[in-house]
Amino acid sequence: MNNLIEFHDIRIRLAGKPLLNITKLSVPMHQCTLLTGRNGSGKTTLFKILSGLLKPDHIRVHYQGLQMNWRQAKPYIQRDVIYLHQQAYLFDASVADNIAYGLRRAGEKKAAAQRKVIQALDWADLTHLAHRPAKQLSGGEKQRVALTRARILAPRLLLLDEPTASMDGEAKQQTSLLLQRLKAEGVSIIISSHEAHTVENIADQHLTLDNGDIRPLKQSAAHDKVTVLNPLKNTP
Amino acid sequence: MDNNCFTPPRSKTLLAVTEISLASLTAFQLLLSGNSEIWQIIALSFGVSVSAIIIATPVALIVSFTLAFFQFPLRRTLIALFNTFMSIPAVIIGLTLYLLLSRSGPLGHLGLLFTSKAMVIGQILLCFPLLVAMSHASFQAADRRAWETAITLGAKPWRAFFTLMHELRFGLIAAVVAGFGRIIAEIGCSMMVGGNILHATRNIPTAIALETSKGEFAQGIALGMVLLVLSLSLNAGVSIFQGKGELRA
Ligand SMILES: Nc1ncnc2c1ncn2[C@@H]1O[C@H](COP(=O)(O)OP(=O)(O)OP(=O)(O)O)[C@@H](O)[C@H]1O
Ligand SMILES: [Mg+2]
Repeated sequence: MNNLIEFHDIRIRLAGKPLLNITKLSVPMHQCTLLTGRNGSGKTTLFKILSGLLKPDHIRVHYQGLQMNWRQAKPYIQRDVIYLHQQAYLFDASVADNIAYGLRRAGEKKAAAQRKVIQALDWADLTHLAHRPAKQLSGGEKQRVALTRARILAPRLLLLDEPTASMDGEAKQQTSLLLQRLKAEGVSIIISSHEAHTVENIADQHLTLDNGDIRPLKQSAAHDKVTVLNPLKNTP
Repeated sequence: MDNNCFTPPRSKTLLAVTEISLASLTAFQLLLSGNSEIWQIIALSFGVSVSAIIIATPVALIVSFTLAFFQFPLRRTLIALFNTFMSIPAVIIGLTLYLLLSRSGPLGHLGLLFTSKAMVIGQILLCFPLLVAMSHASFQAADRRAWETAITLGAKPWRAFFTLMHELRFGLIAAVVAGFGRIIAEIGCSMMVGGNILHATRNIPTAIALETSKGEFAQGIALGMVLLVLSLSLNAGVSIFQGKGELRA
């Protein structure tokens, strides 16, 4: 199977203690990876490293045929990897302006950005919220705006930190629907979660972070057509 | 001025009240007639204080952001130092600057003493610690996710800094207004390094203090009214602005 990106020897110490010591993390192309791990196991820390927000003590990145250290890889991963917080942060502006943020930073003209935003709002079924102040949205709505704001930048890899935590059933379903669409569009996704079953039906592999390293847990549901049709069967 | 020691107290009060009323009337006349001297004083005051705040604010914002977002040695010491400097009396800063700028002082060759430039420098020193301390409090309390979100969406650090400032605009504007409030009305430093020279370094506070003592009540009252209106409208403006901010959150 083709890998989009590989990370080798990720090491970081926080507050004097070694937190992560990961030999290898491969992100398969166009696939969704579920990453579980106890509270404090380092999932958020790992995601911040993978998205270029946090400098590890050591890392080697294998991407687009290049072997790179942190400094060399940073521009690539900051361009192609987007990290989404556990609780989405939306800027103090309208929903539409939030979604346009990345496009504008990439130098897109206002009119062109606006056209893309209208399409993106439609894609996520958020058109009715376009002009609402983003700070007033519910947690679930914020998460969907954040996903749309990321998608519009055509990232190669999305890192979602517990996207469905503290969401009710309907919000979870709406988020899950967007994730499925993203995956179908060819975006690779890693989702960290406590509750494996809510996203398991779109995950292709299941990894767990334990004692600072990553190991595979099992083949996940999306490979097993029968369980996809009956997601209840996945509940551990 | 009233040398008649036999005047009963009541009429003395009456006299004072009449005098103040008359002076206030004259004060309005002075302001409305566009009396060039008084408007020159007002213009100088604003020129000096606005220049000081314009120069001090960008530097203070960068310094306070750095103090809040980066770890480096002496960080805590610096924060404590700015908090302390915030409450140094203006006259002490004036005195220090005076000694530096006086002819025999280390910066005497610049010839800045008793110029409006010296007043600008003094006011920068005065408002800078306040600006840093107040905006540092804002940056410190800021949601780290705002910065991380901007960066992960492709903003360059410089651009992310502006985004962050936009998120914190209510607190940061309050800091700038407080800084401006401190310097527009301060007298100690302007007096020491400016010298209250008419047409050159006389600003609102020095004019009120020194000219009033010479019996120029009308001018003092007129200038006092200008300061009062300014501070009331600044505070009202900030309250309205921040009220809007609360509604958003
Ligand atoms: N900046 C920091 N300085 C010191 N320690 C930190 C820092 N950030 C995180 N840690 C510690 O590192 C550990 C891992 O934190 P992290 O947030 O990555 O875990 P997590 O797996 O995401 O947990 P959760 O499931 O609760 O979200 C925790 O023990 C945390 O206290
Ligand atoms: Mg976490």
